[in-house]
Amino acid sequence: MSSVCFYFQVHQPFRVKPYSFFKVGRDHRYFDSRKNKEILQKVASKCYLPANHLLLDMINQHQGRFKISYSITGVALEQMERYSPETLKSFVELSKTGCVEFLAETYYHSLSSLYDPQEFRQQVKLHTELMQTHFGQTPRVFRNTELVCSDEVASIVEGMGYDAILAEGADDILSWRSPHFVYKRPGGNIKLLLKSYRLSDDIAFRFSNSAWPEFPLTAPKFASWVHRISGNGDVLNLFMDYETFGEHQWESTGIFNFLKALPGEVMKHGDWDFATPSEVVKRYQPTAELAFPRVVSWADAERDLTAWNGNHMQKRALELIFELGNEVRRRNNPATLDLWRKLQTSDHFYYMCTKFFSDGDVHAYFNPYNSPYEGFINYMNVLTDFREHVLKITPEGRQYENTTQLI
Amino acid sequence: MKVLMLGWEYPPHISGGLGTACEGLTTALAKTGVEIDFVLPKVSGAEKAPHMHLLDAQWAKSGSPIPEIVREITHHVTPEQPVVSGKVFSKSHTAEKTSEVVNQKIEYIEIPSWLNPYARPELEARLRKSRKISKHEFSTTSTGVDLVHSMLPGSVSQILREFPFALDKTEHYGNDLLSEVNRYTYRAVTLAQDREFDVVHAHDWMTYPAGIAIAKMRGVPLVVHVHSLEFDRSGKTVNQRIHEIEAAGVHAATSVIAVSYYTRSIIHEQHKVPLEKISVVHNGVYSSETIKTYRNEKRPDSKVVLFLGRVTFQKGPDYFVEAAAKVVPLVPDVTFVMAGTGDMLPKLMERVSELNLNRNFVFTGFLKGPEVERMFSLADLYVMPSVSEPFGITPLEAMSQDVPVIISRQSGVAEVLQSALKVDFWDTNQLSHLILGVLKYPEIRKDVLEIAKEEISKLRWDAAAKKTYSVYLNALGLPSD
Repeated sequence: MSSVCFYFQVHQPFRVKPYSFFKVGRDHRYFDSRKNKEILQKVASKCYLPANHLLLDMINQHQGRFKISYSITGVALEQMERYSPETLKSFVELSKTGCVEFLAETYYHSLSSLYDPQEFRQQVKLHTELMQTHFGQTPRVFRNTELVCSDEVASIVEGMGYDAILAEGADDILSWRSPHFVYKRPGGNIKLLLKSYRLSDDIAFRFSNSAWPEFPLTAPKFASWVHRISGNGDVLNLFMDYETFGEHQWESTGIFNFLKALPGEVMKHGDWDFATPSEVVKRYQPTAELAFPRVVSWADAERDLTAWNGNHMQKRALELIFELGNEVRRRNNPATLDLWRKLQTSDHFYYMCTKFFSDGDVHAYFNPYNSPYEGFINYMNVLTDFREHVLKITPEGRQYENTTQLI
Repeated sequence: MKVLMLGWEYPPHISGGLGTACEGLTTALAKTGVEIDFVLPKVSGAEKAPHMHLLDAQWAKSGSPIPEIVREITHHVTPEQPVVSGKVFSKSHTAEKTSEVVNQKIEYIEIPSWLNPYARPELEARLRKSRKISKHEFSTTSTGVDLVHSMLPGSVSQILREFPFALDKTEHYGNDLLSEVNRYTYRAVTLAQDREFDVVHAHDWMTYPAGIAIAKMRGVPLVVHVHSLEFDRSGKTVNQRIHEIEAAGVHAATSVIAVSYYTRSIIHEQHKVPLEKISVVHNGVYSSETIKTYRNEKRPDSKVVLFLGRVTFQKGPDYFVEAAAKVVPLVPDVTFVMAGTGDMLPKLMERVSELNLNRNFVFTGFLKGPEVERMFSLADLYVMPSVSEPFGITPLEAMSQDVPVIISRQSGVAEVLQSALKVDFWDTNQLSHLILGVLKYPEIRKDVLEIAKEEISKLRWDAAAKKTYSVYLNALGLPSD
């Protein structure tokens, strides 16, 4: 028996508004609520709502045999509550089917696992509480921001009591091994579920690419590729952004019809079923230990972090935000803490990425800035205000007490 | 146009910027249709230079013919499989291998369809007609060496004779640089005797003796290219012999090329060469030493934002002034410099006073070449808020001197410069926002310049090739385009 394990990432950052240096000391509302609202509602109508609706139908139709998993960041969930409560409601409905697992991650979609482990644990804990509140589930499996994993990160996550961590099945990590088995951390017990990037990316990136030799991709064709793994693997991990459905691949490409037909095609073969990450971990034993000696992400050909920390601007911005940790914690002010954490969301640093200049491939997707420089200047101006004005206690001894009114 | 170029090094085997500069310049020159034979002391086989013929001075021993294979060596060898020329392409290579290479050569020469904006058929015909064949025939013995020496100025000949080299030994270059120069001189002259070319172009002092002798032997103009000077490299402890050779080179030359106005003025002072004889051709990239020399003059404590160009409506100088007014209150130690002159100048001077910016604003008037170079070196940021600008090369100049730039989206150069910060010229709010960002956060400069390096050097090498080409025409006594 082998299983297909679907995992979808749901995330929306609190984007920062145009913030010139002239605003420093004068304006402490950093986020672009108009734009954030607009984008969340757009993605909800194109992706979240129709995809949720479809998947709920499919789960009902297959009577418990079709299963999926999600991780939804805290910052995305907050925005759903605020701008699209019906989206949140439809996720709650999914959670009640018993066929949908919610995974743990950092509430703020941050890179804290690499910069501030203490802060990282706090953010994961906050996220777990959020999953309990909204979906009545306590996550047992962890996925990190941008699927970041290393031996060190896996060890921290194991120490937090999770059964498994999701990671990229990067070539240099796997070498001759297959991503279609469960592995475990060297010298530890936490299990590693590895994304099969070829088959995942066939759906997420290549589905509508007419220059791709396999175009058009149909459910029977994809299922036949899945069935080829029979006898050579326990699990096929298909991990992708949820926006694949309806946003990266528009509805007109036929992506929803593809998704709808896929479970039936896969399960035509008696050896194949669907499982959630927790079920995979219970059902299949790890075949071997697998070391992650470097920090691996699911991004770009390099599968590394250079899209977030590759240039001088990004390094400086990351250094500065995490440098403030002790000072922020000393304030003991929940609103300030929340504000600081919202500025840790990895998207802010991604907007400063200059890697794609050389390819002419401008990663403009949802990027609110004209250029990486502007993304950096804007962020640094905000950080200057946060450090020099919000964190500073006024002569009257008052602080900004409630950031919800600032957002 | 055929040029015999005398070089000392070429990537990947380089010790300094000279090899890189030769690569950039020859690549861009080849694009304009100039045919180049490039002589190196030793070709390793790892060079990637399909745009020209690389000639290995090692082969020019004892008057033996140069195997064709050496000329085409770089076409045959991929960088992934570096081979030592001596081993793979020894004289005992099989006929089979040769034909293979010859086939490759034919392919290679036919493939590149370079843009050919400078090649003028009538000019080419004229050049072909006037090409002379060597009157000298070199024999294998020391009389050949004597012949070479007879074509050198006495001082140079005397210096080189102090550093003899063994004629029959080709294996490895000796320890002494000057005996290498002596050997190179003899071999390069030997190589040059039966080749056709219109100009000989020598890079730095090591190749000047060869250049002088070849030019004299063939009666072609000599262009010497000064990348650096002994005076600059060594400060007070100048090697007198090298200084002498350098002097002989710049004096024997029909035209001298200097890599900056700074270098030009030193050549003028040190060697008493008239300024008219020295053309400045900026390299695609400035060497870090050059930049450092300039940067040392800069006061680190205050920030300089520069506008450089004609002070006319088209260049948008008024937007620069308006942006300055917004920045100054937030950065009290900033200086805005407006370099240039034009019909809007009086009005803008008035406006600066009106905005109470006199303490932070400088008008320099019109700047000439060397002053421009210096001005860039003092700037922390260059702003070009042009209302319309077909191309505009000054942002490239600025960036190649390590100055980040903000350019208007309405300038032509904005299309090709991804690394620059961009703004709509009328948006002075955004302009001042970006100026503040660059002044406040030094990481931007680092990233801009890192990204800019490649795109800038490509664009600037094209400009350098164009200038070099007119130096050739000038040296040949032909009119420039």
